[in-house]
Amino acid sequence: MAKGSDKVAAGRRDFLKLAGVSAVTGTAAVAAGSVAAEAAAPVEGGAGYQETDHVKTYYKLAAF
Amino acid sequence: MGEAKLALPVSEEDVLRANLYRLLAATLRAGPSRQDLGMFADMHGDDTPIGQAVSAITRVAAKSSPEEVSREFHDLFIGVGRGELVPYGSYYLTGFLHEKPLARLRNDMSRLGIERRDDVAEPEDHIAALCEMMAGLIVGDFGEALDLEEQKKFFQAHIASWAKHFFTDLEGARSSVFYACIGQLGAAFMDVEDQAFLMV
Repeated sequence: MAKGSDKVAAGRRDFLKLAGVSAVTGTAAVAAGSVAAEAAAPVEGGAGYQETDHVKTYYKLAAF
Repeated sequence: MGEAKLALPVSEEDVLRANLYRLLAATLRAGPSRQDLGMFADMHGDDTPIGQAVSAITRVAAKSSPEEVSREFHDLFIGVGRGELVPYGSYYLTGFLHEKPLARLRNDMSRLGIERRDDVAEPEDHIAALCEMMAGLIVGDFGEALDLEEQKKFFQAHIASWAKHFFTDLEGARSSVFYACIGQLGAAFMDVEDQAFLMV
């Protein structure tokens, strides 16, 4: 999938490594947990997200 | 590293980026459960800005109850009338909900095959929704994984202009304790994303 030269892609990956993206452990479990929580609710058309409580605040904000 | 179900060659670093976006999305969508807090308390970071923010989340998660964090979430985003922060791109960029930034996002979502769930009533430019979309585009939840040039376009069009500002506000918000660490992580991660996309 990666476009552009391999060198550029490799440079970017090295940068991300140095920036701490890959030095963080445990995020996979968190991410997997978040996906599992979404999958538990019925999802139509692929992309699922929900922010139930936000709806109420949104309506309040939209009302002015 | 998991995600073995993906046949597409998404690099390990990109999977980790998606994980960070999902972590941000999960905590900004609703207050974390006890189980979530347990998982947060199990993370480890190094001494980079991202790693330090993760370590801060770990420390605070270990000492917080879901009730405390839920109250914090409520004060920050729900409030009486409104919360301390309004986490929508359109609001950050124009001062109003439902303005042009949201219309532009909807155009791109439709082009990329992303749909809002029927049971979600609020606009799609919520920070949690955008983080979830980025994660999905990186690993291919919505079809094929998006190449870096397309990821860059999406990021620059809908996230770069305001997300760092939002995360910095979250870090400094009066009601923030656990969420100050989430803000710290988000701000550090947006800096890294910004710079990494300059290499694309």
